[in-house]
Amino acid sequence: MAKGFDIDHLAKLARLQLSAEEKALYSNQLSQVLTYFETLARADLPPAANVAQVIEESALRADIPGQSLGVEAVTKIAPASRDGQISVPRVVDDES
Amino acid sequence: MSDALHLLSATEIAQRLHAGTLTSRALVEALLIRYRNLNSKVGAFTYLSESDVIAQAEASDERRKQGKTLSSLDGIPVAIKDNIAVKGQPLTCSSKMLAKLISPYDAHVIEALRAAGAIIYGRLNMDEFAMGSSTENSALQKTYNPWDLARIPGGSSGGSAAALAAGFVPLALGSDTGGSIRQPASHCGVVGLKPTYGLISRYGLVAFASSLDQIGPMARSIDDCELLLNALASPDARDMTCFDQGQRTLLPPVAVNQLRIGIPRGILDKGVGQEVAAATRAAIDFYRAQGATIVEVDLPSSDLAVPTYYVVATAEASSNLARYDGVRYGHRSSQATTPVEMMTLSRSEGFGPEVKRRILLGTFVLSAGYADAYYVRALRARSKILSEHLAALEKVDMILTPTVPTPAFKAGEKISDPLQLYLEDIFTIPANLAGLPALSVPCGKSQHLPVGFHLVGAPLSEKKLLAASRVFEASHPYRHQQAPL
Repeated sequence: MAKGFDIDHLAKLARLQLSAEEKALYSNQLSQVLTYFETLARADLPPAANVAQVIEESALRADIPGQSLGVEAVTKIAPASRDGQISVPRVVDDES
Repeated sequence: MSDALHLLSATEIAQRLHAGTLTSRALVEALLIRYRNLNSKVGAFTYLSESDVIAQAEASDERRKQGKTLSSLDGIPVAIKDNIAVKGQPLTCSSKMLAKLISPYDAHVIEALRAAGAIIYGRLNMDEFAMGSSTENSALQKTYNPWDLARIPGGSSGGSAAALAAGFVPLALGSDTGGSIRQPASHCGVVGLKPTYGLISRYGLVAFASSLDQIGPMARSIDDCELLLNALASPDARDMTCFDQGQRTLLPPVAVNQLRIGIPRGILDKGVGQEVAAATRAAIDFYRAQGATIVEVDLPSSDLAVPTYYVVATAEASSNLARYDGVRYGHRSSQATTPVEMMTLSRSEGFGPEVKRRILLGTFVLSAGYADAYYVRALRARSKILSEHLAALEKVDMILTPTVPTPAFKAGEKISDPLQLYLEDIFTIPANLAGLPALSVPCGKSQHLPVGFHLVGAPLSEKKLLAASRVFEASHPYRHQQAPL
């Protein structure tokens, strides 16, 4: 099992900015954990995974509109809002 | 001391409330005094509104006066782990990410408790986003084990277990993804149940690993655990994994002399502390003396459980926690000038080290080139673990092991070694991977520290597990022992 990983690539995928100390620490700890995971690579396993749910039932409910949180409740917990809408940093540049 | 209100079980409280010898208000006032005197030592609660719980108690007393009592839980306090939504109260998950979040709605289990008249009593500390086994990963505060304040209470529902052991409250809710109810229950000498996957709705539980997460009851006695379970387990269309009415009939209990109890071969040989092994053997001997049949069972893939769990759980966590992007709720970095910076900086500032570690691990096991080697293999191992457990549970009613290999360790002892901490959950993880009900029952001491045994049963066998442990409890009245606070 391959255990090499690129901490910068992972941090980018996970949208995390890591300090140099964090990178060194997590690389070291994750290597240890991945070494421990090698028992999985050696194991004799069934060819395909069944969904590991004990009682399998289709539990999709009917798509019926119901009550949900109102605009006020949603904007109240948002980090920033204006005129009943959640505001975020500019997404599209003026030029584009 | 037997009359001290903080030591009463919920069942005893219900009897006194019914008889008119106790009011909910008097009970809550006594518990609040204990909270004021001792919570700073134990650190179980992160939030408690005294005026709110007194108002709830008065409303309960008023209902009772008018003959409109809602259930046997009416007027009885239930404390809530801080990852279960209560409208108008903080929902922090013990994370800086959600430090300022006030929940705009009630979880299904909270609606159920309110409908039963229970008092929703305060928020309990936990490992950040339920990731940990010692509650030391909380970004808010430390929680200590009431049996020894130098030690951890277990985790991630460490606040729940510590609050029960400290006599702050008779009942508490926890959540369990890999042992987060049962491991702290064992370390604090209380009862903790992880129900069958699907029995209790997770609507309003902050998601960690959705194929594993369950809410469950924690209490100081088996009767209380069952009382709380009954109030929580009901259908809910808002959680698609939650059983419909027709799917949730629990298997009937079995008399102890008819019980078949499975012991995994060699379970006490490796890595189990001497006194934990002795307490487990004593429990096995007790059941044998009661006429139960003790059978060795084979679970050859047990060694795969911990790695399988940490692949599946971190993969799901990396996906579930992608929602914390600083947009709709939770922490937003004040440094961000672009949307990508907003996401990256908010997450980097808001998450603690263990959460970052697990997100990175989960991202890795799902990433291109590695998903087949890790995530897909883990799913295959999970299938194998499930089928081995179901095969064993064809032959026996339940499987008995220790809950945790060793008693509660000292605060700070393992914080820098994630792998050592992951091994705390070696006996509890398989029940999550297989979706099976599992119960931790106090069964003795290792020196001065509580030890629990662990029962796992077939799907929907909660009543069997509770009945079997009730027989043990009746002969081992640990509940009347008090943590030396």
